Amino acid sequence: MLRLLLDRLVFSVLTLLAVGLCLFVLTRSIAGTPARIVLGNEATADQIAAFDAEHGLDQPVFTQYLRWVGSIAGHLDFGRSLLTGKPVTETLAESMPITLQIVGFAFLFAVAVALPLGIVSACYPGSLADHVTRIVSVLGVSMPGFWLGLMLIRFPAVEFGWFPPGGYVPVSEGWGPHLQSLVLPSFTLGIYYIAILSRMTRSGLLEVRGLDYIRTARAMGIGRGRMLVYALKNALVPVVSVAAMAFGYMFGWALIVEYLFNLPGMSNGLLTAITSRDYTLVQAIVLVFTMLFILSNLVADLINAMLNPRLGVAR
Amino acid sequence: MSGIALLRRGRLWRLLRDQGSSLIGGLIVAIVLLTALLAPWIAPRDPVEIDIVNALLPPDAEFPLGTDQGGRDVLSRIIWGTRVSLTVSLLAVVIGVTLGTLLGLFAAYHRGSWIEQVLMRLMDMIASIPLLIWAIALVGIIGVQPVTLGPLTFDNEHKLLVLIGLLYVPSLTRVTHAVAQAEMSADYVRARQVEGASPIAIVLGDVLPNCLSPIMVQATLLIAAGIVVEASVSFIGLGVQPPRPSWGSMLADARNYVFSPEWWLPVFPGIAISLTVIGFNLLGDGLRDVLDPRRVTRGLA
Repeated sequence: MLRLLLDRLVFSVLTLLAVGLCLFVLTRSIAGTPARIVLGNEATADQIAAFDAEHGLDQPVFTQYLRWVGSIAGHLDFGRSLLTGKPVTETLAESMPITLQIVGFAFLFAVAVALPLGIVSACYPGSLADHVTRIVSVLGVSMPGFWLGLMLIRFPAVEFGWFPPGGYVPVSEGWGPHLQSLVLPSFTLGIYYIAILSRMTRSGLLEVRGLDYIRTARAMGIGRGRMLVYALKNALVPVVSVAAMAFGYMFGWALIVEYLFNLPGMSNGLLTAITSRDYTLVQAIVLVFTMLFILSNLVADLINAMLNPRLGVAR
Repeated sequence: MSGIALLRRGRLWRLLRDQGSSLIGGLIVAIVLLTALLAPWIAPRDPVEIDIVNALLPPDAEFPLGTDQGGRDVLSRIIWGTRVSLTVSLLAVVIGVTLGTLLGLFAAYHRGSWIEQVLMRLMDMIASIPLLIWAIALVGIIGVQPVTLGPLTFDNEHKLLVLIGLLYVPSLTRVTHAVAQAEMSADYVRARQVEGASPIAIVLGDVLPNCLSPIMVQATLLIAAGIVVEASVSFIGLGVQPPRPSWGSMLADARNYVFSPEWWLPVFPGIAISLTVIGFNLLGDGLRDVLDPRRVTRGLA
């Protein structure tokens, strides 16, 4: 177990370093000279050289990369925006809580709806509830989230005025409006994962139902409720690890959702940085997203190994 | 045998009951493919030409799905959008399948050696790149304008499809590797080796055909995912560039009209995306039930 943990941890760090290097080299080689972007086309060669020396851009790319990694690992310093001079960490600290909040709410919402749906439809296969779950899961997987969000803005928000059609209301303006401004984004982001997770819960339970230990339990006359608990313990193993991975994927889709609802989160920061060609900011945000993604994959692996010790030995 | 006779003997009924949803999926996919192929002939109007007199007309007999802010027929734009959407998602999957299959077979052939270890670990690394964010960031950095390489011009959607295709490689490599690994120790492979067949002939001629089913399943599901990714990236303006019609950019235009009464602008392109994706998903699920009972493949792109 400890070996597996170490193995995964080391591998995740290596992955992050390798992927970070790719990101760094790609942005540097495609983006051209940052000095030209900042100083404009009229800048003289001297001005550009001075700018490069000031920001360390005259060093070889690999040295720059090592310095970048060093300051991030050492004191969480992602550098400064080349355009505004504002520390990237500050930008991240402003926008990240919003993204985390949306993803967190969407995740809780997805799990809270998907588990009961999956359980009910597995307990009564062929029932109306089962059919409804199946339809929800096919639609949820297939409808692009941003279209659903657009429809939600168009109808419940604009037409009926039940929710604000976009924008972010901070907690300082009251909890009611704050939560209300997060309902539609979280719903939009969560629906896909309701579909995936409810389906996995259902198929997991149906698979477990046929196993010997459940038959034995039934023969012993154990009540339905307790039996469900026994069955869930095993049926949820794949669901939990997929849920942990889904958490990582959600950050990607949060990008589209934040754009759609005009939320000042990290993803919106990324798009602004792209349009203003602020590549230090782009690099930092993409790296943070990749970190979150790798972290949730790591958690998924570890949960999987914990719940399913045989897998750990087999590896 | 006529349909009635089949129905009487219960076979057609059983087929419909067991595989009904995959038949629907196959039907939708067939219609979408035909639409994409026949777009120039079935689209009633020009999808690009601006006709400001007819701007923002609600659906009627002349414009069955209404017109947009430029007076362009929404139906024609959706029909042409099918082409763009399928080009991106199909070609991305072709790239992913080609590279993924070859790498997966290569790793399986070298099973047990360090080559397999390194290759599969490398795939794990690539798989931990969040597809959507990287696609958006890289396209954003390269810029959305067309890139010319020698005699060829690459539009933005070509860059997008190459990126998506490359990021599909790990999942297809894993699927191929998982099946091919088991096949490699089968007796028929040893028999071919004794016969003196070359490794390439064995791997491509004998092992590959036995791995095709799960690859096909995975590919079908990835097409569905690719359609959503293309639409999403076009929606935020970094995918297919206007005035070329694409479902995602039509929805991006529609976003400017959420406060006005033009309900047909956001509704119809979204239905087109959803139906197409439902088609590929149902077909993929059906194929999986038939072709991949061991469930090597997995959803969640």
